[in-house]
Amino acid sequence: MVETNISKEVIQGFVDGTINVESITLFAVVIGAIFVNNVVLSQFLGICPFLGVSSKVDTSLGMGMAVTFVMALASVVTWTLQNYILVPFGIEYMQTIVFILVIAALVQMVEIVLKKVSPSLYQALGIFLPLITTNCAVLGVAIIAVQKDFDLLTSVVYSVSIAVGFAIALVLFAGIRERLEVEDVPQGMRGVPIALITAGLLAMAFMGFANVVPLP
Amino acid sequence: MSKLQLITKGIIKDNPTFVLILGMCPTLGVTSSAINGMGMGVATMAVLIMSNMVISMIKGIVPDKVRIPVFIVVIASFVTIIEMLMKAYVPALYASLGVFIPLIVVNCVILGRAEAFASKNGIVDSALDGIGIGLGFTLSLTVIGAVREILGAGSIFGYTFAADVMPLLFILAPGGFLVLGYLMVLFNKIAKR
Amino acid sequence: MKSTLKNMVLVLFSITAVAALLVGLVNNLTKGTIAETEQRNKDLAKLEVLPKFEGEAELQDTTRMIGDFNINVTTVKAGGNLVGYAVEAPSITKNGYGDRIYLMVGFVEQEGKTTISGVKVISQKETPGLGANMLNPGNSLEKSVLGMSPAELKFAVKKDNGSFDALTGSTISSRAYANAVETAYAGYLWAKGELPSENDAVSGATTTTEAAENNNQMEPEAQKGEVSNE
Repeated sequence: MVETNISKEVIQGFVDGTINVESITLFAVVIGAIFVNNVVLSQFLGICPFLGVSSKVDTSLGMGMAVTFVMALASVVTWTLQNYILVPFGIEYMQTIVFILVIAALVQMVEIVLKKVSPSLYQALGIFLPLITTNCAVLGVAIIAVQKDFDLLTSVVYSVSIAVGFAIALVLFAGIRERLEVEDVPQGMRGVPIALITAGLLAMAFMGFANVVPLP
Repeated sequence: MSKLQLITKGIIKDNPTFVLILGMCPTLGVTSSAINGMGMGVATMAVLIMSNMVISMIKGIVPDKVRIPVFIVVIASFVTIIEMLMKAYVPALYASLGVFIPLIVVNCVILGRAEAFASKNGIVDSALDGIGIGLGFTLSLTVIGAVREILGAGSIFGYTFAADVMPLLFILAPGGFLVLGYLMVLFNKIAKR
Repeated sequence: MKSTLKNMVLVLFSITAVAALLVGLVNNLTKGTIAETEQRNKDLAKLEVLPKFEGEAELQDTTRMIGDFNINVTTVKAGGNLVGYAVEAPSITKNGYGDRIYLMVGFVEQEGKTTISGVKVISQKETPGLGANMLNPGNSLEKSVLGMSPAELKFAVKKDNGSFDALTGSTISSRAYANAVETAYAGYLWAKGELPSENDAVSGATTTTEAAENNNQMEPEAQKGEVSNE
């Protein structure tokens, strides 16, 4: 047989019926989720808290931590539910409803537990927790992680990285907005418009990461 | 507020995108072209009208502390049901709007209206509010989509007039933020008159 | 209503139960119709990717399962004459931005030479306005394969030294698309029993670049001579 243009992996698939899906290193997952596909600046998820809670660096840091905490927990629970309940029982169509309920319940639980176990942490994160239920990034990421067929470890690493990316964007953005406060912004652009334009410039800067690592 | 005002308020006075600043995620995510913006707007309007009506119906029996989870469950079920019905009975429409449907669940316009209007008003008013806000949302998304398509792809509603010369940036993520920001300035200026 | 623990749990539970019941009901109601519609669309796509022909079509399916994926090769005949092959294949080794991309690719044979007669996207979950542009008729990816001989294609985007003209701003979606065409071509060769063995395969899609570049530098006449010699 003559030389062919079909890659080894595909041919091997036809020969023995298995595929070697290109393995993604955890490193690529982390860098990809934090910088290249930043959840706010390139995937457009979690914009509402991004614009709402980003006027001060302190509060945005708290929000970022709360989101990281909930996303890590949510990824474990949703992954388990998806692979051990939804798929075996053939009720994948209930995914959205189940995930949303789980996230809402989780947030409530975290709030109650935190209040009892660590009042100081509760003081720092407490006010942000109710806001997270309506943060579309949490649900969005849970669904994306399932869609990408990650194993449990990768799924958790991915979710935490996404949350860290969210926190980084939030804190960077809050820093810029604190400086904007003292600048002489034209009347009509004050508030949300200048925030959006700033976010646009920040997104442009993050686009520079696009060719740094191969994407998952 | 008269019934007509309920419908028209969403266009200028209570415009969900430019005034209420709700539903930013799908607004930025799908407005890479005018037709996409319009499709998302129409799909959202359909869910909004129905979820507003149901939430107005059940508002009496929902305890205050669990209202948000209940609303979210109602919205998520509607979205899932609409997706399945469209897939089965109007596949052509699903082919063009289908990608937007799951995104509607995470649209805070719908939850926002459930919380701010439908949980306090009657069924008819809530339905009208859904129509009004839905119209405003559709209009804003179409305008943003049109501007991004013209600037980024040199086309409008798929009709190309300047291929390959416009900066692609406006279709990509940063362009979404920039166009929305500047349109908001413009909107504030016009609405103030 | 007052928020006592009892009625909170009761209301949340009953609303969820009603919602789940309704969703389940609608799912049962629409499941059959959705499957039918999908099957009909696939059947239509099989004929759409092949050139028009006269008479009744005779379809014969062969399926190869790789991992969780099915590659389905349909041999289409009309009046005893072979029209071509319609291959439904996913991008088995590469994900798109959203999920795997499923394509229906048509192969026709004329005077011993195989060409791609049509491509149709069966399913994709790419970003609207970017990767999802692969659905538009006449997009750059489709143009890169239509009427081409698959044996001469390099299944990668131009950025990776392949022959696929990527969609603007959507390299990942375009790579997956190229991978799906590659899988379809491998499926076509497999169904005909002409799939090369592993040893002949290139490792990765870019190894043939060097040879291809030399080819480009050749005089047009020389290139023509080369083809007729084969």
